[in-house]
Amino acid sequence: MTGKRSWQHAAALTLLLLLAGCNTSKNAADSGSSLTAADNVTNAPVAGGVNVAPGSEEDFMVSVGRRTFFKQSSAELDDVARATLDKQAQWLNQYPQWKVKLQGSADDPGSPQAQTALSQKRADAVRNYLSSQGIESGRMLAKGYGRERIGEDCPEIECKSQNRRVITNLQEAPEF
Amino acid sequence: MSLSRRDFLAGMAAAGAAGLTASEAHAYSKTFSKSAMTYFAGVASDNGHNYRITNWKKIKAKWQRQLVKYKSIEPIGSVVVDAQNHFLYVVFENQTALRYGVGVGRDGFRWYGRARIDRKALWPRWVPPPEMRVRQPDLPESVEGGIDNPLGPRALYLYRKGIDLGYRLHGTMEPWSIGNNVSSGCIRMFPEDVIDLYQRCPIGTRVLVLKTLGAPVIDERAPVDGEPPA
Repeated sequence: MTGKRSWQHAAALTLLLLLAGCNTSKNAADSGSSLTAADNVTNAPVAGGVNVAPGSEEDFMVSVGRRTFFKQSSAELDDVARATLDKQAQWLNQYPQWKVKLQGSADDPGSPQAQTALSQKRADAVRNYLSSQGIESGRMLAKGYGRERIGEDCPEIECKSQNRRVITNLQEAPEF
Repeated sequence: MSLSRRDFLAGMAAAGAAGLTASEAHAYSKTFSKSAMTYFAGVASDNGHNYRITNWKKIKAKWQRQLVKYKSIEPIGSVVVDAQNHFLYVVFENQTALRYGVGVGRDGFRWYGRARIDRKALWPRWVPPPEMRVRQPDLPESVEGGIDNPLGPRALYLYRKGIDLGYRLHGTMEPWSIGNNVSSGCIRMFPEDVIDLYQRCPIGTRVLVLKTLGAPVIDERAPVDGEPPA
């Protein structure tokens, strides 16, 4: 192999690795399969780091935020929730290629049925608010999961506060 | 938080001038030096007050909010501060985190350990603790929220077992102080970033302040390591 060809080979490989790096957030949890060793250390930039592509899923995570939080046993949008959803709506209006699955969760007092109902009410509240801000209904699916998809599970507020939420999950080709 | 007499006068002026228009706010910004003013890119309105927009061209990329790889066992949603490297992380899924640049306590004022966000405020009033006023007698008893309030547009109050630690995550009107050891123990952020963080941290959010990532976690029953807040 000539020096030039090996350089081309290296450049192609680097490009491949860079492309792989762009996809890290879409990997299943912690598979890490497409990560190189250099990518796989704390503080390594993900999706371009500070140069995140506008309109990408990572841009939404960095510039806007996917989570809307709720108080105990409530599906009411408070000022903080509305401020979050205003930013989401602005971004979604700017990037109409995205659809969203609004995934409600509950970690509140009550029966499993009550939790599922509450999580659905939370997801519906988010859908209705985004709709009022100009997002077409056809771009959104609101689904309540009760405690099925909660994060850390403990009796303390540290866990519960994180689980009383709706995640706005961007989808390019959703099933709905 | 350290305030010069100039800052104090500016703060007093702001305290008496709620509801500034943008042009009036620009007039106040004359209290900053010409070189300091290059760190600002105008004024933004937020919940009835104004803050100076950060001129990101002046800010190193490493201090700007970004998604990074983050290997940790801290639960998703936790806030982790690396004091030595001046980073604050919000833990995300898939071993990633949102990273922000911060300013931390100067020598003798840094602290480490676990805390919880039990209170949050929009445009908080700043009440310098008595110890700080002893060191800096020029400080006012309090400064109302506004463009020249050193806490900036938001504050997240850190508690441990129901007790106010006296430390906050808050904004700053001095963007050049991000990445430095400057405060009396508080963690300061760009105004845009503390507004963003406020949205992401419900009451009850875990906070862990470390000397560096990977440093041993100081037992939360132990007293705060370092000088008391002042």
